[in-house]
Amino acid sequence: MAAERSRHRGLLNLAVLLVLWEVVGRLDLVAGGALPGFTEILARLWVDRGDYPSHIWATLYASTVGFLLGNLIGIGAGVVFALSTTALRLFRGVNVAIFALPPIAIAPILVLTLSGMAPRIVLAALGVYFVTMTSTVIGLSQADSRATDMVRAYGGTKRDVLRLVQFRGALPTILAGLRIAAPNAVLGAILAEFGGGGRWGLGAYLLGSLGRGEPDRLWGIGLVATLIAGTSYGAFALLSTRFLGATRAVTLNTAVPTGRPDPGHPLKRAALAIGSLALPFVLWWAFIRLTGVPDMIAKSPLGVVDYLFFAPTAETAQAKLLAALAQTLPITFVGMAAGLTFAFLLAISSKLIPRAVEAFMPVALVTQTMPLVALTPLLILILGRGNALTLWVTISVTFFPAFVTLAQGIALVPRTAGDLPRVYGADRTRS
Amino acid sequence: MSAPDGITLAGVGKTFTGRGKVVEALRDVHLTCPAGSFTAIIGPSGCGKSTVMRIALGLETADTGEVRIAGDTPLAAARAGVTGVAFQDAALLPWRSVRRNVEVPLEVLRQQPAEHAERVQSMIELVGLKGFENALPGELSGGMRQRVAIARALVTHPQVLFMDEPFGALDQILRRQMNVELQRIWTETGSTALLVTHGIDEAVFLADRVVVMHANPGRIVEVIDVPFERPRQPPLFSDPAFHKVCDHIAEVLHGG
Repeated sequence: MAAERSRHRGLLNLAVLLVLWEVVGRLDLVAGGALPGFTEILARLWVDRGDYPSHIWATLYASTVGFLLGNLIGIGAGVVFALSTTALRLFRGVNVAIFALPPIAIAPILVLTLSGMAPRIVLAALGVYFVTMTSTVIGLSQADSRATDMVRAYGGTKRDVLRLVQFRGALPTILAGLRIAAPNAVLGAILAEFGGGGRWGLGAYLLGSLGRGEPDRLWGIGLVATLIAGTSYGAFALLSTRFLGATRAVTLNTAVPTGRPDPGHPLKRAALAIGSLALPFVLWWAFIRLTGVPDMIAKSPLGVVDYLFFAPTAETAQAKLLAALAQTLPITFVGMAAGLTFAFLLAISSKLIPRAVEAFMPVALVTQTMPLVALTPLLILILGRGNALTLWVTISVTFFPAFVTLAQGIALVPRTAGDLPRVYGADRTRS
Repeated sequence: MSAPDGITLAGVGKTFTGRGKVVEALRDVHLTCPAGSFTAIIGPSGCGKSTVMRIALGLETADTGEVRIAGDTPLAAARAGVTGVAFQDAALLPWRSVRRNVEVPLEVLRQQPAEHAERVQSMIELVGLKGFENALPGELSGGMRQRVAIARALVTHPQVLFMDEPFGALDQILRRQMNVELQRIWTETGSTALLVTHGIDEAVFLADRVVVMHANPGRIVEVIDVPFERPRQPPLFSDPAFHKVCDHIAEVLHGG
């Protein structure tokens, strides 16, 4: 079987990589021993084996609860947004804000304002929410209009359409979202652990081991974290493939979409736009009020405006911020472009040379599901604190979600749509 | 006005606005289908024949005029389970088996499919798909999928049956077979049928009356009565009288 052969090839690639790693590690070729040999890491894992269960348990607990919570809210919000464009437009600001919030920046704030497991759960849930919400909205709105017409022709309501057509049709897309969300949850939990306090959790373990200059232990923690994230990805990838086959329409829907949705009264549109802009700030303000933290630690929206523009220190604050921005932006764009290009090429290749990509996948998966927090201290050891590090991190953050989305989209094209170009002699590139 | 369980469209007009263009899809359409009759609508692409059906089904609302299905508004009639519909291109749910696809209208109408298991089974047998109850749409041929759609349209025992090019994707031989079968099924159910089609011979073979439409704006230009006795048999397809009616319709279709 071709699939089996490619799996063998994947394992072979992995083995070659491990041997290479071992040799490089044993000879201390990278940054004076920052990369130990693979077996050295395994040996260290064995020595530390007593420490791991409590840490793993804490991380698993926080990320699972956060994953469930984030998905519950994400799918619920996705359903609401798919049913009501007004709600979607009103919450656009909030959604973008949640998406754009860098977890690493809010981790300390959450740790300061919440206590116990809460910051970890919240950060894990935040990492899950946007991915799941988006894939739910996309999945639901991609429903076959022929099938929705049929249900509506029997007097079916929006809810009937949702129940009978849209939800099942959206399942593969939602599951594809969940497989990105799952490693995100693990990442969020570890990040919060890393960002503050607590005795247990892989992030806390990482933090505690950082100062001791023992790369083999850091790598061990990284490996375990990768394993957890990778397993969660794999589980949902499996589920997603399982449901995809029976969801693909047999024929392509040729019905013309019924134009753009009614944009509504200009006044209503303006009100929605203002509401959408204001809502994130209202929620921010409410969060500060409800948690009752002092102004020193968590600033309200007005506090931040004051700090940046009106306070006596505003000028220095602005200058610092701009300098930091000038440092970050160019690298961001380069990294993003490279990550997207790579994802695009790989997604196309998965159709053109499926075997080669399948063979490469295990390697890609391992590098990509490695939680960045666990990886960052090691990357700093290897690459130093320069631009190379930032670039690497940007690329890997961009690449993975983009690849999964593209690959899923290509896989969803109905069979018959691919048949036509093939009949005319097109090869896989052009179908 | 027609008997209470027929179809009535009076002065129906509909205009679409999309992509900067305004299209007058229907202008002043009057159509009355008496109870138990079989009416076919024929016309070139874009003449609004599918729009007539979508308005009668309550999927679109008319800008002007009035629509009555069995004496009710389209939506009320649909909710009461009066209508059955088969679309062009089957529109089956790919993840549901044949039986579960046929059950969809029952579920929408809040009826327990389990209570109607016998009816579902008899519909599947009626369209000749016995033994394929648990097959998925992807495992069926185009003709079989279309027959599932017919079974689904009939499962609620509708008084009014709408069909939008139900055999559009089938080849000529299969299409004729299905026409004969559809006539048999329709005779058994005694429902009022409205068929939208591209095929002149299909329309003449099946219908009591053929409604010819023209485009820009979509309108009815002529209603032609089809006199042949029922049940009509396949040899009718090669009858000179049959061809005469077909030729007349073709003239009306192409003439101004």
